[in-house]
Amino acid sequence: MEPLSSYLVLSAVLLGIGIYGLVSKRNAMRLLFSVEFIVNAANINFVAFARYSNPPILSGWNIVFYSVAAAAMEATVGLALILVAFRLNGTIDVRKLNRLKG
Amino acid sequence: MPDLAFLALSGLVIISAIFALEAKELIYGAVGLAFSLIGVAGVFVLLGAEYLAMFQVSVYVGAVVVLILFTIMLVRRESGRIVEEEEPCRLGRAGMLIAGLVAVAVAEAMLILAPLSPETPEFYQAPLRELGRSLATSYSVALVILGLLIGATVVGGLTLAKIDREEKADGTAQ
Repeated sequence: MEPLSSYLVLSAVLLGIGIYGLVSKRNAMRLLFSVEFIVNAANINFVAFARYSNPPILSGWNIVFYSVAAAAMEATVGLALILVAFRLNGTIDVRKLNRLKG
Repeated sequence: MPDLAFLALSGLVIISAIFALEAKELIYGAVGLAFSLIGVAGVFVLLGAEYLAMFQVSVYVGAVVVLILFTIMLVRRESGRIVEEEEPCRLGRAGMLIAGLVAVAVAEAMLILAPLSPETPEFYQAPLRELGRSLATSYSVALVILGLLIGATVVGGLTLAKIDREEKADGTAQ
């Protein structure tokens, strides 16, 4: 059985990949991928902490249940927004979607 | 033995996550996202939460990635070329630096704050009966709110993606 720290390092790396995508990517779809990675990093943390506490805490599993469902909903609304943005502007490059810029 | 499985799974998660962000074609990126999420489900299995792993695979890989693939198909240009960023962004290196700093800081904070090496049973499985009971009793309000949220999401997504007749007649496609 691996120590808890290996799971924490894995989730931190996944969080870093997600933040890298959010900062440096220009395609709105890839920003959505990055958000999914960040949510998954949080989920790994929840399950790992729930598993390694003594006795194992059941709330960690419950939280991940809700978190996965909420992330699926967020992806749905995000994809609908991307479709609308593409229909209105003909691009999903977030650097070009600057109509609200003052 | 579990150590090797953990290494393989984390390698799958990280490599396919990087591939999802760096692949030239967006379609291959979505496939990389699917593999990364499957790897996260495998990590859940290693942690003894098989039910969550199944939930993760069915919701993420079965629903979210398929939805993303359909949207990528819809967001193609007429020429068949996928809408993609033209040139690599200048912010790439700065983003890598920021992400690395944040990841190292978060890992350090978690390793400092985490209760290291507690005694845990070796083969622990999430008690599915207890999980279901807590979903139905102590977390029932949250479950109802989640259902309402799903309904609101469906309505909102349909309203956003719907094409109005007069809006289409205005020629707002471009």
